[in-house]
Amino acid sequence: MHSRPRSIVIALIIFFSLAGPAAAHKVMVFAWVSGNTIHTESKFSGGRKVKAGKIEVFDPQGKLLLSGKTNEQGEFSFPIPQPSALKIVLDAGMGHRGEWTISRDEVVNAGPADPATPPADNTGDGKPVPAAAVQTAARAPATATGLSTEELQRVLEKALDRKLEPVYRMLAEAKEHKPTMTDVIGGIGYIIGLVGLAAYMQARRQRKS
Amino acid sequence: MHISEGVLAGPVLFSGMAVAAAGTAIGIKKLDFDQLAQAGILSAAFFVASLVHVPVGPSSVHLILNGIVGLLLGWAAFPSIMVALLLQSIIFQFGGLTTLGVNTVIMALPAVICYYLFAPLINKKSSIAMAAAFACGFLAVFMSALLVGVSLYFSEKNFFEVATLVVTAHLPVMLIEGIITVFCISFIKKVSPEMLPGAR
Repeated sequence: MHSRPRSIVIALIIFFSLAGPAAAHKVMVFAWVSGNTIHTESKFSGGRKVKAGKIEVFDPQGKLLLSGKTNEQGEFSFPIPQPSALKIVLDAGMGHRGEWTISRDEVVNAGPADPATPPADNTGDGKPVPAAAVQTAARAPATATGLSTEELQRVLEKALDRKLEPVYRMLAEAKEHKPTMTDVIGGIGYIIGLVGLAAYMQARRQRKS
Repeated sequence: MHISEGVLAGPVLFSGMAVAAAGTAIGIKKLDFDQLAQAGILSAAFFVASLVHVPVGPSSVHLILNGIVGLLLGWAAFPSIMVALLLQSIIFQFGGLTTLGVNTVIMALPAVICYYLFAPLINKKSSIAMAAAFACGFLAVFMSALLVGVSLYFSEKNFFEVATLVVTAHLPVMLIEGIITVFCISFIKKVSPEMLPGAR
């Protein structure tokens, strides 16, 4: 007699799993560097933007560098506060919290060609390095148009940042792990396995007594 | 409803774990052979229910179903809910392993309270039983929301603000769960009344 309500419950489960395959309760914050600005985007799993969520930025030692609130689109941008790794923490209220870490390399390399923090390959500025044949070849047209290496680098970086921004965003979003049908079925499978295990233990206990 | 990792203070996490462990121990002890399959299925339903979300205001909330789980299982709701939450945190990354105890208490304690409040009324005549079923689904979520407020109190210090926010955000879920519980109970009453508490 138990089989009928049970099959209904199972049907209910399948209905639920089809009804909302990619929606649930978790917040995520993504961040990427563009020029000397760091952009962040916050959302709940399922795609809803986190409006007026609190963003806090920490250095690796856990010192609070700055804080702010996300706008209507769940975005919050701020200038790079210091050339170190940064931990971005989102607090969306009601116990929802997300984290994103930007590595030091990302912050330093993506920054503008700032003379204060010169990239390593900036050393051979005045005289061309003969070993790097490719480099000189690339440099030749630059001198022909009257652009210095530094200027060219800055222009390139700016253009690349602009072109790559959607790519950064896509990569950041790809890290989001959406619950898939496989996850759901796998989880149910685990539960069924546990029930089986418990039934086995109880059956053994009953046989002994 | 799932509290993320890194939000709560150590003492809250530890007391949550202690209460959850005690509840789970009682639940496993009270779980008899006939109830096992039922507990597993309700655990699976609870596990999947968190994927059904309702967009509300600035946040988004999801179904919990702890009312019906508690009503049908009593203390066995603790192990069922804990297993489902563990799987949710591993597979979906909802909540987290350190907050597993607190989250279990938040959702399973109201389930057990609802069992004691409403199980005796479920076998009464239809109108009373249906009202009890609705109240069960509704109040279970309400109490869970209050418990979220309580656990956040120690880190946010403004209980009323947080509690009001959580409760209002979950109002639609409370109504939906009340209705779902009514449907489930009336269905079980018709088809297989021996599943209901008190009929055993």
